[in-house]
Amino acid sequence: MSGALTQGLERVPAQVGYLVISDGAVLASSGELQNDEVSAGLLSSLVSAAAGLRLQRGTEPPFKRLSVVFGDHSLLVTVSGQKLFVVKRQNHVQEPLTV
Amino acid sequence: MGCCYSSEGEASEQEEETKRLLEPDPSPPNKALNGAEQSYHNLPSARTDEQAMLSSILAKTAINIIDVSAADSQGMEQHEYMDRARQYSTRLAMLSSSLTHWKKAPALPSLTNQPHQVLASDPVPFADLQQVSRIAAYAFSALSQIRVDAKEELVVQFGIP
Repeated sequence: MSGALTQGLERVPAQVGYLVISDGAVLASSGELQNDEVSAGLLSSLVSAAAGLRLQRGTEPPFKRLSVVFGDHSLLVTVSGQKLFVVKRQNHVQEPLTV
Repeated sequence: MGCCYSSEGEASEQEEETKRLLEPDPSPPNKALNGAEQSYHNLPSARTDEQAMLSSILAKTAINIIDVSAADSQGMEQHEYMDRARQYSTRLAMLSSSLTHWKKAPALPSLTNQPHQVLASDPVPFADLQQVSRIAAYAFSALSQIRVDAKEELVVQFGIP
């Protein structure tokens, strides 16, 4: 079962780690996110908060993927079948964000 | 293995136990009479008291514990099983109805059926990120510039000569 869950995650381009979370518990993890329960907890609350926002009325979920972008890497999160899928991806080399 | 513990009435039991332990001996022995004999007689009586108390605790605990693995050896009849099952399910229903407000956050919406594709798709374009950051910076700057201008007297006199 965990093989089927994580097979696709292994093939995500430029991934350096992933997490599969269900009900706050880490089901599978690898790479730089291996056993990273702190990130798992933080991202779970982040997704819950984001899912609670409703910008327009409708039955469709308001987003498909949540991207937390840092300088050199991003954390991408999505939810499918009550499971959180998190992938840490290396960003392409680009100028840092300046505000 | 296979044991459930019902904690109902635990508090009152504990209270009862503490009360009993703190209470003085209900039948104080006659101290005026020979002290040696008194201690000799008192000791076994205290011990039996303790024994009785311990066995009552044991009995209460045995009533409160559902030992599933030993249920057969208690010689329960079929209808007794049914009675207990009914009793437990009504108690559970009572407990769960009082716990509804205590439930966890609502379930997450399913965002996609193809999580792997969604995660593997292109990252957010850099230009979009820059735009969002710029707008957020503008909003922050606008908010920080909100201030109150003092224009008039705060206290006004109403026609007092």
